[in-house]
Amino acid sequence: MLQGLQRRSIARAARLVAVAAGALATALAAAPGASATEPIKVGLAITQTGPYSPPAVYELQGYELAVEEINQAGGLLGRPVTLVKYDDQGNPSTAVQLYQKLITDDDVDLLLSPYQTDLTSAVAPVVNRARRVMPCLAANIEAFGGKYPYLIQAMTQTSRYMVPVVDLAAQKGYKTLSLLVQNTQFPQQLAEGVEKEAAAKGIKVVFKESYANTTTDFSALVLKAAESHPDIIVGATYLADSEGIMRAARAQNIDAKMFAFSIGPVEPEFDKALGDAADAVFGTTLYFPTLHTKGNPAFVKAFADKFGRQPTYHAALAYASFKVLAGAVAKVGSLDQTKIRDALLQTSEDTVAGHFQVDKTGIQIGYNSYALQWQGGKQQLVWPEGAATATPIIPHPAWK
Amino acid sequence: MITFATLCVLGLLWGGVYLLMAEGLNLIYGVMKVVNLAHGDFIVLGGLLAFSLFERGGLTPIAAFPIAAGLLFLIGMAVQLGVLEQITAQGPEGELRTLLATFGLSYVVANASFLLWGSQFQSIPFLQGAVQAGPIAVPEGLLVCSLLAFGVALLVHVWLTRTITGKSVHATAQSALGAASCGLNIRRIRTLAFALGSAMAGGAGALVISLIPFQTSTGGDLTVQAFTLIALGGLGNYPGAWLAAELLGLTEVFTQYYLGSNAASAVVYVVFIGVLIFRPQGLLGRVGRV
Repeated sequence: MLQGLQRRSIARAARLVAVAAGALATALAAAPGASATEPIKVGLAITQTGPYSPPAVYELQGYELAVEEINQAGGLLGRPVTLVKYDDQGNPSTAVQLYQKLITDDDVDLLLSPYQTDLTSAVAPVVNRARRVMPCLAANIEAFGGKYPYLIQAMTQTSRYMVPVVDLAAQKGYKTLSLLVQNTQFPQQLAEGVEKEAAAKGIKVVFKESYANTTTDFSALVLKAAESHPDIIVGATYLADSEGIMRAARAQNIDAKMFAFSIGPVEPEFDKALGDAADAVFGTTLYFPTLHTKGNPAFVKAFADKFGRQPTYHAALAYASFKVLAGAVAKVGSLDQTKIRDALLQTSEDTVAGHFQVDKTGIQIGYNSYALQWQGGKQQLVWPEGAATATPIIPHPAWK
Repeated sequence: MITFATLCVLGLLWGGVYLLMAEGLNLIYGVMKVVNLAHGDFIVLGGLLAFSLFERGGLTPIAAFPIAAGLLFLIGMAVQLGVLEQITAQGPEGELRTLLATFGLSYVVANASFLLWGSQFQSIPFLQGAVQAGPIAVPEGLLVCSLLAFGVALLVHVWLTRTITGKSVHATAQSALGAASCGLNIRRIRTLAFALGSAMAGGAGALVISLIPFQTSTGGDLTVQAFTLIALGGLGNYPGAWLAAELLGLTEVFTQYYLGSNAASAVVYVVFIGVLIFRPQGLLGRVGRV
């Protein structure tokens, strides 16, 4: 009786062991398979709501399109890619918390950058301390150049924004320039770039003055800027101040051979706000849908199909930034952050936004910018000549 | 000399624009001792409404002026009856609650505008040219806004001092209790004042958006600017506000020209502080009114 019981329980134990071993074997066999389909998590926080959201939403859509295309092409390292995204509402401290969360709680595999230089600067220490590589859509160079070695600039650097405008002016033989600068970080760095480029091209800066970003009345400033009769009036501006300066020039019959602004004319609102006064004004852009860059027609079509609108430079740069990052990951063959960073530093690649290349400290040296001009209510790319969609109207016609 | 004259003209005209944007706040404060913190947001709302009327219907800001003013009149009425009249507390506590209510209102208005118009700066191309007066180019848009501002200021001043309704508004401002005991319907008078003040903000916005681009978050700055102006003039005082507006306009333009634009934004507040040190009641304010 006892022996029978023992025998039965031994047999039962043996069966159990066998089942357990079988289960374990299956589990072990299945394990690599599971990780092969487990997605690569790509994390970011970006301004999806609030006053600063419109360009940021373009960037998010650029990222989303790139992720979708990579998944359609079989994923990354044989795994699908998912976006883990949060809304920083344009607030730097929220952005810092969210990147902390992405790195610790969500433990994402790759990071993408928020919109704008200020937010990138805010999250830079957190990202760099965690030794996570991040291609950044930030034009100012503070976060790069060795300060945060895991950050790579994936946007034209600020000081190069207006190079084509100055170049065009030099081609036309213009000699003098007045410079109006909003006293915030981006326009100031941009103005330094203009001064350097002007000096290199033999154009003299005859007037330079900065103004507070709350300025709404530009009449006296523009009057003063025009006193030395400069060939070119350049504004290192955003949208509202570029309109204010143009409006003051128009209302006081102030003429120059060229009016050019950094940010401002690139926005469709510039023309809506100024009507005739926007005509023949130059602006700057980092991308244009008609560019003959690699894969651009397909990108423009895919973006329009998916989101029902034309991509802006924000969308194109974001799209290119994730494509470049994915390319570096594929080259490295793993998610080793330091190796990916090193691969990005070596990358020299044509994208929809132009040629991506950084120096050994991560500062973007490949991407360029373009001069655009409003002509009869339409934006035309006018310089450099090779990429132009129209010839520039120059000099600026006198006010009627 | 021509430069000096041009700067004088520009300063006086910009003063008019600032006055236009502050008049509604001045009326509401004068009658109710309420600082409407949503004032700037009302201006922006009026402006963005004019922007849509221009974009969709081709209406000029002049044509949009009565529409924006009318709509804001209704909104002002609704706010007064629905919110401010519901605050029954008296004295400092009542003032604090009213202030908080208008502070909340500013968020409601700004975010409603954000949902309707998004966050981009908007503006209207209107009267962008210049009228040549001898050697001086006078900006058309500024001229029209300023003339209108002076017109409205004069009308309101006459209305307050010469008509029965105006006088009863004035009486309510001086003593609500006294006015009520004389048989005036002070609830109606307060509603009229708040609605009119709001309408003036909306109308101002419809015009000013053709000079200054508005964004839904611009409202806060405009409220501060308007409040600075009416405090400088002597809260609630009309000729005082006019004087203050011209002082600010001229100060700004001359500082911008002679000391630089960075100084201009600071000097305006230096003048403000200076005046308040020597005349705490404002330029034309009477002692004890505030």
